[in-house]
Amino acid sequence: METKDFICPHCAKGFKSPEEMKAHMLADHRGGALPSPEGRIRLTINGKAHAPDVKPNWTLYHLVHDHLGLTGAKQFCDRGACGSCTVIMDGKPVLSCMILAIECDGKTVETVEGIAAAGHPLINAYVKHHAMQCGYCTPGFVTTSKALLDDNPRPTANEVKIALSGNLCRCGTYPQHTIAVLEVSQKLTAS
Amino acid sequence: MKNFEHFNARSIDEAATLLVRYGGNAAFIAGGTDLLGKMKDRILPAYPEALINIKTIPGLDAIEETDDGLSIGALATLAQIATHPVIREKYTALAQAAGRTASPQLRNMGTIAGNLCQDIRCWYYRATQNRFSCLRKGGGRCYALKGDNRYHSIFGGSVKGGCIAVHPSDTAPALIALDGTVITSKRTVKASDFFKVSVNRTTVLEPDEIVTTIHLPAPAPGTQSAFMKFALRQSIDFPIVNCAAAITCEREAVTRARICLNAVSVVPRRTVAAEQSMVGSNIDENTADAAGAAAVANAEPLEGNAYMVPIARTLVKRTILVCGPSPAEVDPV
Repeated sequence: METKDFICPHCAKGFKSPEEMKAHMLADHRGGALPSPEGRIRLTINGKAHAPDVKPNWTLYHLVHDHLGLTGAKQFCDRGACGSCTVIMDGKPVLSCMILAIECDGKTVETVEGIAAAGHPLINAYVKHHAMQCGYCTPGFVTTSKALLDDNPRPTANEVKIALSGNLCRCGTYPQHTIAVLEVSQKLTAS
Repeated sequence: MKNFEHFNARSIDEAATLLVRYGGNAAFIAGGTDLLGKMKDRILPAYPEALINIKTIPGLDAIEETDDGLSIGALATLAQIATHPVIREKYTALAQAAGRTASPQLRNMGTIAGNLCQDIRCWYYRATQNRFSCLRKGGGRCYALKGDNRYHSIFGGSVKGGCIAVHPSDTAPALIALDGTVITSKRTVKASDFFKVSVNRTTVLEPDEIVTTIHLPAPAPGTQSAFMKFALRQSIDFPIVNCAAAITCEREAVTRARICLNAVSVVPRRTVAAEQSMVGSNIDENTADAAGAAAVANAEPLEGNAYMVPIARTLVKRTILVCGPSPAEVDPV
């Protein structure tokens, strides 16, 4: 590719002269806000609007845990293989360690703090059925379970197991999760 | 992760232009579940200077039934595909394959095109900090050949005859069995011709080429398809062996069969011998077993992976039986 000295700030396409670049910007990007060099994103976390400046290499986990102080989501494997950092994004459970924060513009995120603050019965059911030992994986499980119950209020035991199959628990508390989630499902759908 | 520049592409042209501008030292990112792991572990000699987000390109995630089949946008997530009613009914193998990939969370993030274009999982290649400069990275030797090759190819190597890393995709064999086509920003390629091994590459894609659509032809009347996977865990795991089959029967006799194994060779392996052995016969224990035997007849296992041969054979047999008239008799893997 030949060298082009004038770079469109929107899409980084190169041009030979400022006139050409201006024409391109008017044709393709008219009215579009300039991309923020600092990576300013807007997103809703637990119902509250945030507009943090993020670096490209921050994951959503970094943003939520290290910079916004929501320490519920836990980092364990940091490679998308354990489920401890699960958050709900636009209604679906996802792994915050494998999502770039800068790509979360306009998203709605829910963490375990939001689920607890809303008084969701999952929290008490997890305590009642002691669905934890060391507790490190628990926020990830609660978050994944909440997303399941939002999507499917009356899951079968097997559906609960499948939905939670992306979360690892070193302490082996797996049977308790199904009991807790099914109890909450009954409670929520009975009323 | 070391820092990098980040762009949200608004069109395929824009994404390709950006990539070219970085002289190849940039990468496209969609689901990111493969790429970010590679970057965090610094497994490759080069670290991308820029990531170009293609999730922001509109219209690339649609799943639509067309006159001649089904078209799936490159950005459709594996979860979308696994739960799509039309795919579950008519393109069963693909829905099953997408539903057995990784974990529920990763299926909400990972895309179909990303699953096809994912990099290999060889533990020497993936060792952190680029510890092994292997053939696949342009280096001088394959460390798995004399090392621990329990998860490697049973059908020989690639890249100077050496690299024996298998292709780990679950959806790739399903697309090949269903006779799918990959449409990119530059051309149309049959799914069976899409995978090609060379240094740093697993597909025929050029560096600035982007998969835009996957097309599946409408299955002929009397066609059943299925996918089976053998892995050490039921979830969050790559296959030891997986298999997809699409079999068309007319009055119980097989008229057309497409069977594809994966994770056994450097690219997904369509087992033509097994297909041919099925054509003309009925689907039963004996014919399915014979097809399984034909599928692994040319296997050349290495020191650590001979155990994969009977698994591949059995998986071919079971996948064929699931496509037959009495699938209930088969144990799920």
